[in-house]
Amino acid sequence: MNLLSVSNLNVSFRLKHQDLAALIDISFTLNRGERIAIVGESGAGKSVLGFSIVNLIGKPGHIESGSIKLENKELTTMNLRQLQEVRGKRIAMIFQDPMMTLNPVITIGDQLVETIRSHTKISYKDARNIAIEKLHHVQISSAEKRFYQYPHELSGGMRQRVIIASVLLLNPDIIIADEPTTALDVTIQAEILQLLLTICRDNGVALVLISHDLGVVSKVAERTLVMYAGRVVEEGPTLEIINDPQHPYTQGLLNALPQMTLPGQRLNQIKGNMPSLAERPTGCAFHPRCPYATPRCKQEQPGFIHSGESSVACFMVEDMLSEFADQSDQEVNE
Amino acid sequence: MTTPLIQISGLEKAFSTDESWLNQWRLQQGKIKRRKDNVHALNGVNLTINQGETLCVVGETGCGKSTLARVIMGLTPPSAGEIYYLDQRIDQLNDKERMFFRRRMQMVFQNPYASLNPRMTVYQTLSEPIAFHNPQLSRYEIDEQIEVLLESVGISATSSDHYPHEFSGGQRQRISLARALSVEPDFIVADEPLSALDVSVQAQVLNLMMDKQEERNLSYLFITHDLAVVEHFATRVAVMYLGRVCELASTTTLFDYPKHPYTQALLSAIPRLDSNTAQPIRLIGEVPTPIEKPIGCVFQARCPYANQRCYESSPKMILQSDASSVACHAVEEGRL
Repeated sequence: MNLLSVSNLNVSFRLKHQDLAALIDISFTLNRGERIAIVGESGAGKSVLGFSIVNLIGKPGHIESGSIKLENKELTTMNLRQLQEVRGKRIAMIFQDPMMTLNPVITIGDQLVETIRSHTKISYKDARNIAIEKLHHVQISSAEKRFYQYPHELSGGMRQRVIIASVLLLNPDIIIADEPTTALDVTIQAEILQLLLTICRDNGVALVLISHDLGVVSKVAERTLVMYAGRVVEEGPTLEIINDPQHPYTQGLLNALPQMTLPGQRLNQIKGNMPSLAERPTGCAFHPRCPYATPRCKQEQPGFIHSGESSVACFMVEDMLSEFADQSDQEVNE
Repeated sequence: MTTPLIQISGLEKAFSTDESWLNQWRLQQGKIKRRKDNVHALNGVNLTINQGETLCVVGETGCGKSTLARVIMGLTPPSAGEIYYLDQRIDQLNDKERMFFRRRMQMVFQNPYASLNPRMTVYQTLSEPIAFHNPQLSRYEIDEQIEVLLESVGISATSSDHYPHEFSGGQRQRISLARALSVEPDFIVADEPLSALDVSVQAQVLNLMMDKQEERNLSYLFITHDLAVVEHFATRVAVMYLGRVCELASTTTLFDYPKHPYTQALLSAIPRLDSNTAQPIRLIGEVPTPIEKPIGCVFQARCPYANQRCYESSPKMILQSDASSVACHAVEEGRL
């Protein structure tokens, strides 16, 4: 049984005159201990998806339809009280900016202890011991001293470690990490990623990594979902997606990386920009930027088809696959 | 050999930490003494930028990359050292004398959301520098120039009466670039121009910058922390650490044979797509604050190869056989 299963999730933002659909028909599953990544550019809906899973979408956003199931409990219909049992304890979240997540006027120790004591009934002293143990766990040196310090006394990498420690306090089953290393330097980023990876592996925690950096994703995740304009356009094993991308958007995204062209050559750019929610094109949302677009792409939304181990929503791939199938049928007949 | 376009020697910049007058008094060995703390953002930087080349400066947050850019542009005065444009010294000029060089050197900033005036239309943003530096031009000629300029950065000239908020991040960064190009400079300092942009948009802006370089024989000082961009775009690379340049080499040499231990660690930390790359070299600790001027090598605290000499004397830039220069005792002694 899947640990988390999201099916046909639709999230929209209700404005005065119109409903803007931020997520359309998102479905995916997450097994125990599995690490998946959600990739896409700004405005693709990655973060909205991350927030929706723990029902943290603030007004005017709301979950229109679909279901999010944690084992067999439905999260979308829970009341606040039930949700608080899930948030932190079962599903924990790491945000992009560690300075925004930590309260600047409360010591790190008190923030950690508060987290533990709001979920379990134990003494301050016991909670303190757990907190210090977790700080050691994320390789913070002189954890006893750090316990009494304020967030501004720590560097960015150190703060992100504290956040990871705070997430580990209640031994969650799933960690959702929304761009956890974007605000950090390369050397620190490598350390934090390594830390996240070992923690997830050692404790069997499932990870949902939200990122725009395909390099980061390839280091951490087993499976990847590529999002474009509120929809998942491709899903499959990370290696498969990186080595053999099927959807034109995924191909464009990978080809745009500077590593993909020889130094000094012009980079392969995707023309145009991601459409805003209000101006979503009809049919496949990628068609105005797609080099292979046909009249059909402008009218219909492609469904998911399986291609190898991954699934893709694209008419071109669909046509190619059916051509292949026809050819092999003919060969069999002959 | 021709004279380099920009030559910097022994550049230093210290910022005072701005404590209040009362806080500057400290008790030292039974006496009350006044002490001012300075942040040494630049610590003796020597660099040259040749005509038509791209010099990339890489390094972590707080290593002085942006300060270097601002000092070269004359936005903050240096504490010591000299900056030459061709053969003229430009670091001690007053505003009036500097005017000529402002035209020759332009800057593109990191955040296109903050560097364009939100209350000026694109037309106003671009016409201001053109009209200011070319007072002899008629209104009609300015209009014409702006039209050509906008088309050349891939923005339709019909949108010249739009305000910055109506554009996306990539378009805004292109407008910033158009503004820099409007006075026909031959040197552009770009301070992390891509870091606020998405991958696909990043490619658009980078391509545009390369096109302009070919068209106008521009030289770039390109400041970034994204090593993949550096590998693609740079002619030469300077690696900075705590206000010093620790390695300077041509791009291929640097990426194929990094010599300084910091460069090696930095390169190994890039998350690459191919799965079979080696484990990143782990640096212990984080970048120390540059408040005290360090004795010895700036990298000593995190360097796995540091020995007694590294704690005592500061390494000098030494030219290597493959034309790169490295400031490291371990490389000099052949320990590495």
